Amino acid sequence: PTPKDTDMELPNAATNSGDKKFALPVDSENKATEFRIYSAAAPHMRAFHLSWVSFFACFVSTFAAPPLLPIIRDNLNLTSTDIGNAGIAAVTGAVFARITMGTACDLFGPRLASAALILLTAPAVFCSAMANSPVSFLLVRFFTGFSLATFVSTQFWMSSMFSAPVVGTANGVAGGWGNLGGGATQLIMPLVFSLIRDIGVTKFTAWRIAFSIPALFQTLSAFAIFFLGQDLPDGNYSRLQKSGDKHKDNFKQVLYHAVTNYRGWILALTYGYCFGVELTVDNIIAQYFYDRFNVSLHTAGIIAASFGLANLFSRPGGGLLSDVVAKKFGMRGRLWTLWIVQMLGGLFCILLGKVGSLGVSVAVMLIFSVFVQAACGLTFGVVPFVSRRSLGVISGMTGGGGNVGAVLTQVIFFRGSRYSAETGITLMGVMIICCTLPLLFIFFPQWGGLFCGPSSKGITEEEYYMSEWNSTEKDKGFHKASLKFAHNSRSERGKKVDSALTPSNETPPTHV
Amino acid sequence: MKSHLLTAFLLLFCLAQTGDGGVLFSSLPQTLVVTASIKQGQVLIAGEDSITLTWGLNQSFVGRTDESYKEVKVKLCYAPISQVDRKWRKTVNDLSKDKTCQFIMVNKPYQKLDQSFKWSVEKEVPTGTYFVRAYAYDSAGEEVAYGQNSDAKKSSNLFEVQGISGRHLSLDVASVCFSAFALVSLIGFFLVENNKKKRSTDN
Repeated sequence: PTPKDTDMELPNAATNSGDKKFALPVDSENKATEFRIYSAAAPHMRAFHLSWVSFFACFVSTFAAPPLLPIIRDNLNLTSTDIGNAGIAAVTGAVFARITMGTACDLFGPRLASAALILLTAPAVFCSAMANSPVSFLLVRFFTGFSLATFVSTQFWMSSMFSAPVVGTANGVAGGWGNLGGGATQLIMPLVFSLIRDIGVTKFTAWRIAFSIPALFQTLSAFAIFFLGQDLPDGNYSRLQKSGDKHKDNFKQVLYHAVTNYRGWILALTYGYCFGVELTVDNIIAQYFYDRFNVSLHTAGIIAASFGLANLFSRPGGGLLSDVVAKKFGMRGRLWTLWIVQMLGGLFCILLGKVGSLGVSVAVMLIFSVFVQAACGLTFGVVPFVSRRSLGVISGMTGGGGNVGAVLTQVIFFRGSRYSAETGITLMGVMIICCTLPLLFIFFPQWGGLFCGPSSKGITEEEYYMSEWNSTEKDKGFHKASLKFAHNSRSERGKKVDSALTPSNETPPTHV
Repeated sequence: MKSHLLTAFLLLFCLAQTGDGGVLFSSLPQTLVVTASIKQGQVLIAGEDSITLTWGLNQSFVGRTDESYKEVKVKLCYAPISQVDRKWRKTVNDLSKDKTCQFIMVNKPYQKLDQSFKWSVEKEVPTGTYFVRAYAYDSAGEEVAYGQNSDAKKSSNLFEVQGISGRHLSLDVASVCFSAFALVSLIGFFLVENNKKKRSTDN
């Protein structure tokens, strides 16, 4: 649908009257076909910067406690079990919140959905200053953790603003730079804590005051999203739904087609063992270095930070690698690369638990972080192709599966005193390897899987994606967007594709 | 390429090594006598209360037992009950890795005569159950003897410290106000959006 000039009043008047002019080149959907990282032009790049910064803020808040645990555990008289439970609680909330967020984005648009979630979780961060027992500590971490569902709104918003050739990069950079927050917080919180301590505040009060920084940052980002952001290149949802430019899909059908697609479940499991592992490490690594190698709080924070900071390039790199490999080898290349990279992540994790000297441990941790985060980026190189109609819910399921992996791993290995931290890390590596094996079972009839080529029945992309629509819906023409996408996805066959792809035929997403 | 990766992997594996050890606690003679002025079941308030410590050589050890003793550090140590499920307070025989005694109460040069000190419980001492142990150090700074006010099982003469909460009324009020502000802003956002929606349908 082409934008109607007459009733378009964008809240940010970045366009001239009459013809719409965007700062970036756009396709027929007005989605940007280029990704210019240094630009903040409305609406596309501005949406990118708003989404990654707010997601970053949520990560900072969710993992603000771990680097200060050596102080907090003495103040609140916590045991290892208490600490483990709080760490699990921090990532549990987002399991369901992520799945719900996909729906919320569909109903209200990513701008309102993410601003609302951020403001609803900000009180938990402010009230962290009042925690005075293991139970209250667990509760603040639990409610703060819901904010990690902004991952889904980030990916959704990028998919709405950027067209297929750059959507992988946009998603990968937005996701990766948001995840940076988990690393940055390990630097920020000890620094803020020591500044407050230096002016003479006792340490059991200083950590409480320190939490105001992530809380304020998170609140400000919600304001920025609300006032500066925009759901779609053409405007906000509320306006577009009224004018009939956006068709609302059937929620039950969308959910059904997501839940019955086994590939979504496999990817949810494997994402639990790259992203879930990343969340677990964010929770335990500062304490690990502090306790095992007797470094200062400050040093432990720096080491822990470097794990998360690798996200600057490793997750985007994974997404980029997926696209590069797909050019020659198609979907099979994407799957193989994901499998290899994630397996290597598991191997380095096993090694990390075994090394006993500080220097080697840090080096192994860095290598491990690159592989594990690249695997996250590679996963979301496959996810957009699992379903077209139910992309939002599949993304939410995969994202939620990431958090489930974090919950499981912490419950089994990092709670209480059954395993020492180093044994837990090694066993986590073994679990990564076991839980990456299911990738072998992913099979796309039109492209193949790890060990098989495409189905001999000659199933096409169109047949695969059309199977998500019934004849009544096809009569009404709802499937047309999926049809376009199916045609464009022929590039996933790999180099053998000789049919001309029309790059201007970009896919308008069916907002799910 | 693959063989390089494997070699690097194996090399890293072989480089895994453990650190050097320190003095072993089990090798230290218990030649010092330490007492602390505590009553049975007393709870000390951090930042307020104080106790008197005394330490000195056990007079039953004659001769030149204490020739190498140059320095004494009296430390506040966690009782077993405060170590349960808390690996960061673990008792390890190797004193360079031992985390039982994390607070130095007094640090003085060794003297033949008994010494005493009035120790105020510092504000930052965490809540827990404790006992007192004194280590004697030689000129190289290594432990050569010890004494403690509790028995070998660390079950007698224990005392509790009630740490500060770290909370302040002003902090609590600020937290609640900012939380309320965030929630009110959210309601405001929805109202603004609804108004915009209404205005667009009226157009």
